[in-house]
Amino acid sequence: MTVETIAGQRLLTAAAADGLLAATAAGGLAPGQTLATARALYPHLIALEADPAGDIAALTAFASWAQRYTPLTAIDTEQDHGLWLDISGCAHLLGGEPALLADLRTRLARRKLPVRMAIAGTTGAAWALARTQDNTIIPNGAEAQALAKLAIAALRLDARSIAGLHQLGVRTVENLARLPRADVTARFGPLPMLRLDQAHGQIAETIAWPQTVAPFRETVPFTEPIGTVADFAQALELLSERLCRHLAAAGQGGLRFTARFFCLDNTAQTITIATARPVRNPAYVAKLLGMQMETIDPGFGVEAMHLVAEDTAPLSAVQAEAFAVADELDRLATVVDRLSNDIGAARIWRPTPYASHVPERAVTRQPPLEKSPTWERDPTQPRPIRLFPRPEPIEVSAPVPDDPPILFRWRRRVHRIRSATGPERIAAEWWREQARPKDRPETDLIRDYYRVEDTDGARFWVFRAGLQGGGRPPCWFLHGLFG
Amino acid sequence: MPLRSFSSPPFHPVAAPAFPPAPPLVRSAAGRDLPAHLAFLRDRLRPAPSHAGVLPPVLPFGDPRVDQCFPLQGEQRGLPLGALHEIGTEGRGAETGELPAAFAAALIGGICTRLRGRAPVLWVATVPDLYPPGLPSLDPARLVLVNPRDIVGVLAAMEVALREGGFAAVVGEVGAMAEVASRRLAFACQKHSVTAFILRRWPHGQRMPDRQASAATTRWLLASAPAGRWQVRLTHMRGGHTGSWLMEVGDGTTHPVRVVAALADHTAAADFERGQATGDG
Repeated sequence: MTVETIAGQRLLTAAAADGLLAATAAGGLAPGQTLATARALYPHLIALEADPAGDIAALTAFASWAQRYTPLTAIDTEQDHGLWLDISGCAHLLGGEPALLADLRTRLARRKLPVRMAIAGTTGAAWALARTQDNTIIPNGAEAQALAKLAIAALRLDARSIAGLHQLGVRTVENLARLPRADVTARFGPLPMLRLDQAHGQIAETIAWPQTVAPFRETVPFTEPIGTVADFAQALELLSERLCRHLAAAGQGGLRFTARFFCLDNTAQTITIATARPVRNPAYVAKLLGMQMETIDPGFGVEAMHLVAEDTAPLSAVQAEAFAVADELDRLATVVDRLSNDIGAARIWRPTPYASHVPERAVTRQPPLEKSPTWERDPTQPRPIRLFPRPEPIEVSAPVPDDPPILFRWRRRVHRIRSATGPERIAAEWWREQARPKDRPETDLIRDYYRVEDTDGARFWVFRAGLQGGGRPPCWFLHGLFG
Repeated sequence: MPLRSFSSPPFHPVAAPAFPPAPPLVRSAAGRDLPAHLAFLRDRLRPAPSHAGVLPPVLPFGDPRVDQCFPLQGEQRGLPLGALHEIGTEGRGAETGELPAAFAAALIGGICTRLRGRAPVLWVATVPDLYPPGLPSLDPARLVLVNPRDIVGVLAAMEVALREGGFAAVVGEVGAMAEVASRRLAFACQKHSVTAFILRRWPHGQRMPDRQASAATTRWLLASAPAGRWQVRLTHMRGGHTGSWLMEVGDGTTHPVRVVAALADHTAAADFERGQATGDG
């Protein structure tokens, strides 16, 4: 059993396996029970901590695996963990719906995954049948008949509605269908009737398919699996060529490209690249993808590859082709693309001024291709060329109140001050909540900056934090170095 | 001129361009034909302009004491552009590298004023402690900063940028570096006409070797001098001379840096200008 702490109580969440579920239901165990009660019933119960995120991740991986049957697969996280497969127009590829079910069952049995499945014309009916009558396939239009004798829990209702309907003696779907709609809705809200109509196919139900089929996608299957870098490069060139032609026809350029390598052992590996500006130059795309080729482990070989432009933006023909000579921004974009796919986009940035007196907040980061606004400099307040992200504490000997130090020690070296300029007082930004801990007085956050020069001519930017007679004695820090 | 410490530069055979034959020196005794012939020879020796008009050949310092160290290119002498330069420092600053950064920023500021357009400056460093408001004479709006994880990443990023071109300058803060790496960068600089600066910056605890082979066209060694000046030593200039000057940041319009006289009273005067003098100045 898996256990989760909900509102301070240790509750059972779900049974691990199918057979166990039957056994536990008979023995009086059910999700929602406290662990103590369950232990009283089964002293040898093995309780495992629930891992909902892990469950979702595993289901998501399962869903992407199931794309071998249909491009539309989604996990059902609402009620009970399950998987939706929209096999419209896909079943004939495997020889019909029964053959598809059998194939899926065989593959899952090989992985020792217990499974219950059903195929129906509506999502509601498929959900209900999968949980009650395993391996059922019903034709379109037969939903009402197939569901009639099932318990109302099969309609994905909430526990409150089920309990309320049970009190009224409504046990089966058939019973519910006979009740006056208005009364049911008035008493239990719209859900019961909505679910009934959805199961019967009178109201369409939409499933949030996580991966919509990208409109810009090219696939190349191989008759013989390939595994060499040269073959991959050639295939990537071919895919880029086709994809970029496709993009050009739509007047689009790609911002993010994913190449997926389908391996013989049913795994898929991907290379994703991002570009700073929309591109549709096949050689360029292939080159960026090729840079990450070493991350692909072909194993026994790759049987198919596809390339998707996952994110696109309009790119006119003029922008893409007219200028043979690349302008500065184009060249910068090329370099940024190369570097950001190599070391990460966050490591390339353009400094931007920010209206703040606090030195470490006066510079912010922005993407490299955006234009930097004008920097204004105040010649009366020179700034250092190196600014430490965290000011480094220095030992000051014989401090005189309200005067710069005469001598300080930094990184185990003593610096004797020859001249000093200052102070330049910079106060903390009181309007920022997190700027000041509650237990410290505001005077502690006042900094008096001095430009000091030691006897060697090295110039430092030091500051005294706090005031004489403030909450605590002032401390000295080195914040930057002048070049 | 210092001897180069490594064997032979990489050999890149270049097809000789078809030049018109030199006019024969008739009447060589007559003085008036010699200048014409010299002009012709000079023209023939001038390197072929790549990106013609975009990158001037040199950045003059505007002071004959400095400019005379550099070989004549065209009609001018000055810091060769489209080449690799290496700037180091002596003493404490080797770890933080603030002097080379300021000197390079001043030189790049000078390059930028001589370039048309708004070509960006790529500054590559593992430690993100460059503070753009403190850059002398270089407009921070041109800066694009790259922070790779290690020195290998710095060199790779510089090379990518140099090969693509389009930058006013490419700066990399590098500690230990193989000579092959500097040769690659130097070659990329020449081929794509981009100026690059290597700022030597040694991690804490690493000692700077006394002399390390490098393919840089110029090598500079800086030390701090009183009143915000630099003691600048040009320790290597291929085909030129070395020198040592006391310099400070120029006014940012005509020349990037200027030589100042090393007089004691200048320092004292500067001290008074800059604020209270507290000690032994």
